[in-house]
Amino acid sequence: MNYPFWDVPVVGGAWIIGLIAIFHIPISHFAIGGGLFLPMAEHLALKEGRRDWLPILRRHSKFFLVLTSVFGAVSGVGIWFAIALVQPEATSTLIHNFVFGWAIEWCFFIIELSAAAVYYYTWDRIPDKLHLAVGWLYAVSSICTLVIINGILSFMLTPSDAWLSVAGTGNEASMFWPAFFNQTYWPSLVLRILVCIALAGIWALVTLSRMNPDFAGNARDKMIQYSAKWVIPMFVLMPVAMAWYFMSVPSASRELMQLGMTTIGSGMFTQVTRIGLITLMTTATIALVVYFFAYRTPREFTFAHAASCLALAVVATAATEYAREAIRKPYVIGGHMYSNGLRRNEIAKFNEKGYLAQSMWASTQEMKRVDMRAGILMFRGQCGACHTTNGYRSMVKLIAARDMKAIESLLRELQKSKPTGTYHKYMPPLVGTREEISSLALYLKSLSDEGSARTEAKELLGSQ
Amino acid sequence: MAKVYDYLNDRLALDEIKLFASKKTVPLHRHTFWYYWGGISLFCFMVQLITGVLLLVYYRPGPEAYESVRQITYNIHFGWLIRSAHNWSANLFLLAVFVHMFSVFFMKAYRAPREFGWWSGLALLGLGMIFGFSGYLLPMDELSYFATKVGLEIPNAVPVIGPVVANILRGGLEVGEHTVQRFFALHTVILPFLFLPLLMFHLWMVQKHGISTPPAEEAKPKAERKTMPFFPNFLAKDLAMWLITLNVIALLASLFPWQLGPAADPLKPAPAGIHPEWYFMSQFQTLKVVGNLIPGYLGEMVGMGLFTLGLVLWAAVPFYDTDSKNGKRARNATYFGLFALSVIVITTIWGYAAVM
Repeated sequence: MNYPFWDVPVVGGAWIIGLIAIFHIPISHFAIGGGLFLPMAEHLALKEGRRDWLPILRRHSKFFLVLTSVFGAVSGVGIWFAIALVQPEATSTLIHNFVFGWAIEWCFFIIELSAAAVYYYTWDRIPDKLHLAVGWLYAVSSICTLVIINGILSFMLTPSDAWLSVAGTGNEASMFWPAFFNQTYWPSLVLRILVCIALAGIWALVTLSRMNPDFAGNARDKMIQYSAKWVIPMFVLMPVAMAWYFMSVPSASRELMQLGMTTIGSGMFTQVTRIGLITLMTTATIALVVYFFAYRTPREFTFAHAASCLALAVVATAATEYAREAIRKPYVIGGHMYSNGLRRNEIAKFNEKGYLAQSMWASTQEMKRVDMRAGILMFRGQCGACHTTNGYRSMVKLIAARDMKAIESLLRELQKSKPTGTYHKYMPPLVGTREEISSLALYLKSLSDEGSARTEAKELLGSQ
Repeated sequence: MAKVYDYLNDRLALDEIKLFASKKTVPLHRHTFWYYWGGISLFCFMVQLITGVLLLVYYRPGPEAYESVRQITYNIHFGWLIRSAHNWSANLFLLAVFVHMFSVFFMKAYRAPREFGWWSGLALLGLGMIFGFSGYLLPMDELSYFATKVGLEIPNAVPVIGPVVANILRGGLEVGEHTVQRFFALHTVILPFLFLPLLMFHLWMVQKHGISTPPAEEAKPKAERKTMPFFPNFLAKDLAMWLITLNVIALLASLFPWQLGPAADPLKPAPAGIHPEWYFMSQFQTLKVVGNLIPGYLGEMVGMGLFTLGLVLWAAVPFYDTDSKNGKRARNATYFGLFALSVIVITTIWGYAAVM
């Protein structure tokens, strides 16, 4: 508890990251896939003398430039702010481990953004070959950003045994390469590249569908078919990459997927399966709509079709990213740091010496006695990363009508049960001294009482 | 592929069907979007049929009803998904039918010669609502038990025959296992037996008279009116709508799977804020309001009288809005439609606000 706690009522901090990510990811992946689409289409147009494609590509590149360099870049920085506020410990670990990786990524970002601007503003102003070279420069630099960030993202699920062996020693950066090229690096990279390519096709369909068929004529139809070819094969390849990724994740994460087939009883566990179903359904729909409408009958392809495909692609991307986050539970960095920022190797210390004793935000008095203030600090530090008091994963609902004794025994279960216990499959172990746990129970009871009082008031009002 | 087609064509006359379908046209104008809602309703109904049959494999009416739904939800592979898809598609079905009905009303598609299409559609909506009501009790959990108890107050309020009908539905004075048995028979045998032929009739009416054009479009010279072929254009778009609907059902079922509460216990007090499903909320709230204004039996009579009058006026609209042009009567019918829509929306929101 080295950092202040960012209390986001009702939705919780995690959803702030999630909401920005849902907006950012379809754009950032388009920034990479679209970067490949533009020079490839331009190359084809020049090679086969389809010069009527060029004005269309120019229009698409304007949309591309505005969307990726304004909305994509701003929301990307937004994610940075959000993760630093919601998960400061984990962000600190990532920075300490991957600072040079990130520095290199930012170099590529600068090249990428510059190249995108030059590419758009030099249409018809520089020789074709040079213009195309700028496009390729953009494509390569944008892929390089993915190559780097993918190492950091996949590290969070599977940080590698080599890195875990030095975790907490201060020498973590010495294991940069094993941590970077971890067991899920390659399947994750391939999967993301396929997503980028599919999104490039879908976004191109959005631009093309807004062009008047009578005005753009045959070129529009041909380009719609060309864009469809970027989408359809991906939906054949993606399940293969997904299966590869699935086989690479730790077995505990795979079990989450199987559990949800049978039941919805175990709460968030089964979300992974449910989210998996959404991905399956939405991607299959996109493939069908793109094949039957864009590829088979390009003249009939409308903006409504393109917008539906895009909406479904956003849902599919958001669902997959959510599942990726969910299978990491109870960790934020697999096997090392729990989702509430506690390090696995510090659990015994916290239980022995107290959790609040390590906090910069608790006074010595609060650490030693059972009181509400200490309970609030315990809640914020250990529960607040995933739970809110009365909104998303509401504690009022989860505690329900339990009395003080029942709450305390539940908390002891969360503290003492074996790491293989049901709760620990998705929740970090609770830590703290006896007094600290009692303080937390006191605070949770007060939340539960507030909830009951509200319900009673409603009943009273309802009966009047 | 061509050989297979030829083989089937020789025996089933596929070319004739294709020719017939390609001659059929659908009016193309700024309200064409509303034409898809009938198809969406049909698709939701088909999803219910399929998922309903799958649920039948494991569901056991009577005293084991709750336990069997518990097994479906928590033990059987993807049982929760089938149950959730069934429930969500039922809700979407009714929503789509409501949208379809109001779009038909405002586009004046009930006018001659389409009166029977209008009436059969209304009857299908009525049956759909009874489908929803009878299905809601089947899990026999706390919520469905008490909501059914409250819901049976509506037929109970019908003067003279109401209590008798409510007793027949309940199978006694209280909601219990006999009620589940009766509702099950109603839900899986009687209602489909009535619904399916009526649906066929409704579709035949649409086929017979074609899709109607709103008066504003009809007023245009024939040369200015646009159409699209039913096959393949409209059908392809309709199928795309079905796909979108399937996605919506899958999204809702996956993100908000239908939960199962504790088993119904008649000795327990009803949980706070118990209310009927959203499609009965308007009637429920209206009865409550009228009951508060005019207490006692008279209030019930007035409440039910208002309903009956509203329904009769709604169903009889083809009789008093007969002009082919948008005259005074047509405007009055539109105002009546807007009034009915406002009443339903306001009383539904009011009903929810009162129980929240």
